[in-house]
Amino acid sequence: MTAFAAATVASTLAACGGGDEGGGGTAAEGGENEASDIGVTEDTITLGAHYPLTGVAAPGYSEIPTGVQAYFDCLNQEGGVYGRDVEFVYKDDAYNPTQTSQVTNELVLEDEIFAMMGGLGTPTHSAVVDFLNAEGVPDLFVASGSLTWGDDPETYPYTFGWQTDYMSEGKIIGEYIAENFPEAKVGLFLQDDDFGEDGEAGIRQYIDDQIVAAERYTPGNTSVGPQIAALQAAGADFVVGFNVPSYTALSQLTALQLGYQPQWFYSNVGSDPTLVGGLLNRFSEGKVADAALLDGALTTGYLPTVDQTDNPWIQEFQRIWDECGGEGELTNYRVYGMAQAYTTTQALQAAGQNPTRDGLVEAIEAVGSEWEGPVFAPFRYSEDSHMGTSGMSIERIVGNGSEVVQDVRVTDIGDAPIEEFDKEPATPPANAIPDEEPYEG
Amino acid sequence: MDYFVNVTLTGLTQGMIYSAFALALVLIWRSTRIVNFAQGSMAAATTFIALALIQAGQSYWVALVVALASGFVLGAIVERVIIRPVEGGPELNAVIVTLGLFVAIQAGIAIVFGSSFQSFPTPFGVRGFEVGGTTIPLTPTSLYVIGSVLLVMALLVALFRFTRIGLAMRASAFSQEVARLLGVKVGGMLTLGWGLAAVVGSLSGLLIAGGTFVWPAYMDALIVFGFVAAIIGGLDSPVGAIVGGLILGLALSYVSGYAPRGSALVNISALVILIVVLLVRPGGLFSSTTARRA
Repeated sequence: MTAFAAATVASTLAACGGGDEGGGGTAAEGGENEASDIGVTEDTITLGAHYPLTGVAAPGYSEIPTGVQAYFDCLNQEGGVYGRDVEFVYKDDAYNPTQTSQVTNELVLEDEIFAMMGGLGTPTHSAVVDFLNAEGVPDLFVASGSLTWGDDPETYPYTFGWQTDYMSEGKIIGEYIAENFPEAKVGLFLQDDDFGEDGEAGIRQYIDDQIVAAERYTPGNTSVGPQIAALQAAGADFVVGFNVPSYTALSQLTALQLGYQPQWFYSNVGSDPTLVGGLLNRFSEGKVADAALLDGALTTGYLPTVDQTDNPWIQEFQRIWDECGGEGELTNYRVYGMAQAYTTTQALQAAGQNPTRDGLVEAIEAVGSEWEGPVFAPFRYSEDSHMGTSGMSIERIVGNGSEVVQDVRVTDIGDAPIEEFDKEPATPPANAIPDEEPYEG
Repeated sequence: MDYFVNVTLTGLTQGMIYSAFALALVLIWRSTRIVNFAQGSMAAATTFIALALIQAGQSYWVALVVALASGFVLGAIVERVIIRPVEGGPELNAVIVTLGLFVAIQAGIAIVFGSSFQSFPTPFGVRGFEVGGTTIPLTPTSLYVIGSVLLVMALLVALFRFTRIGLAMRASAFSQEVARLLGVKVGGMLTLGWGLAAVVGSLSGLLIAGGTFVWPAYMDALIVFGFVAAIIGGLDSPVGAIVGGLILGLALSYVSGYAPRGSALVNISALVILIVVLLVRPGGLFSSTTARRA
C-alpha cells in the first residue's frame, strides 16, 4: 500500500532537460528519466482501461484491448516512450456501470495508473467520468461517440473524446441523403439513448422533412419486430440505423421475415461487415438464398478497415498483429485499438520526457489538433473543445469490404457547416511509431 | 391493418418462445418443487454443444438429439451432485444454489465456447410466408417452434396425467416422506425430474436459438419472460405455461408496437401484467389449487 510513495513526488520537476531530443521513439539522452507523477517510474508508464470482456457487449468490443496491447508490446520492443515501457492494464466491466466504477477505482487507487486510455461505452464511462476528473486522472480517448467527453472541457477538463461524435456523423449522413437521395422517405432506427438522440439531432438538421418515422429500440430487447414493422408501415424506403452491431443483424433478420427491403444505412458503430456479415452468412449457407444481406448497405468510416489491404496503415497494423498480437486475425476492432494506442503514444511523447498528468492534458490541448495518424480527419482538441476527430467518409458495403462513395467531409457539433476535406491521408512513420516533439508550454 | 397483423404475429412467435421456456420451468416445479434459476444457462450450455456439432459438420437433427441427451445427463448430474446436498433443507437454499449455478454455467460456457456472437442455424427458412402479395412475419421456423412447443406440452400433460411415473414424480415432489412410505423411490424420481426438465429446457434453448444469434448470456432476457409466463399460467400447468407465454408475447408486442417509446416500456409492462394477473388470481390463471405449498 505504500508503494507509490516515490511516485507522487516529482511532479513539478518535469521535462526540464528533454528539450531538443525531438522524438520520443528512443530513449532520451539529455535528461534523466524520473518518476514524475503517479503511474510513471524511470522505466514504465502505466495506463488503464475498462472494456466489456464478457456479456452482451463483449462480441467485437472485447477484441479492442488485444489490439491496444499488441501495439504497445511492439512499441516497447522499439524502446517505448522516452525509454519507458508502456504498461497497459485493462479490466472487465461487462458493460455494467456498477462494475465500471469498481474496476476504475481499482485502476486508479490500487494499480495507480498514470492515465485512462480508451475506456469503452457511454453508459459505462459516464459512471466514472466525475471520479476521474475529481482525482485529476487524464481520461484519454473514451471509446464512444457521445458528446459528453468533449463538448464541455470546463466540466471535464481531464476527459477527451476520440472517434467522430454521433451528432457530427448524423449531420454528414443527413447531408449525403439530402444531396443523393432527395426523394427518399427516410425511417430512423435508433438506440433509445444518447447514441440515437445525438445521431437523430444531427441528421434532422439536413433532412427533417424527409423523415417519415423514427423508431427506438431498447438495448436488451431482442425483439425489434414491431419497430421494423412500423418503419415498413410508414412507407420508409431508406432506413438509417444508429444501433450496435447485434441490432444490425437483428434488424436485417426481422426485415427478412417481413419481406422489407429499403436502402439501409448503418452508422459506423453498427456496421462492421465482418462481424455482422459473418453472423448473417451462416443462415445463407442454409435456407436463405442471398449471399450477403448487408451487401449494398451504406455506412460511414473514419479509420481504414482490414479489407483495405493496400492501405499502408492496415499493412503496418497487420505486421504489428503478426509480430506482437495474440490468437486470431486482425479485425476492425483491433485496428481501432491500435489506432487509439497510436494517438496515445503521440500524447505521451508530446507530454515530454518526464510527464505529469496536468502536463499531458496541456500538451493534448496545445498540439493534439496537429497530429496525423490512421484517423482520416484531424482531432478538434483545444482549450475549448476536447472533441475527437471531426470527419467521415461514406462507404458502401460490398461483400466483407467496402468502397468509398463520398470522400471525407469534416464538421463539428451544433450548426457548424460541413466542409470537404482535401488533405492527403497521412502515411505511417517507420514501425508505425509516431515521433512527436515534446510540448514545452 | 397490415401493421396490426405484423405486430400480432410477431407477438405470437415471441410468445411461443416464452412458452417453450416456461414449460421447462413448469416441469421442474411439478417434479421437484424447486424453481430452477439455472435452467437458462443449462439450456444455453446444451445449445452450444449442438452448435459445436453443427459447426463440425453434423446435421441439425443429430445435434438436436445430442443436445437433448446431454441436457438429460446435465440435469441428472446437477441434481445428484449439487442439489441433493441441499434438498430437504429450507426451500430457499436450493433456489439460491440454482442462482449460483446459473452464473457458474454461464461463465463455463464463455470459457469453453468463447463469448462472441454466433448465428445458430435452423432447419427451416427464416423468410416470412407470402399471403396475397404481402409478406407476413410468420416463417417456416416459427411454425417449427410452435409445433414443437405444442408437442412437448401434450407429452407433458400425458406424462403427468396418464403414467405411473408421472404420478410418482408428482408425489415425490409434493411430499417426500409420504411418497417414500408408499414405496416410491424418491431419489430416483427427483433425478429423473431434473433430467426431463433439462431435456425440455434444452429443446427450448435450441428453439429459441434457431435462426438467430447465441452468446453465453443469450437466455438472460428470456429467463425473466419465461418465468413471468410460467407464473401467469400458474407454474403448475403445462397448458397455463403456453397460455401465459402467448398472453405475454402478444401484450409486449402491442406495447412495443403501439405505445410511444414502446420498446422502453416492454420490461415494465411484463411486471404490470404479472401483478394484474396475480391480483386477480393469486395462484396464476391455471392453478389447480390456490395456496398449495410443498
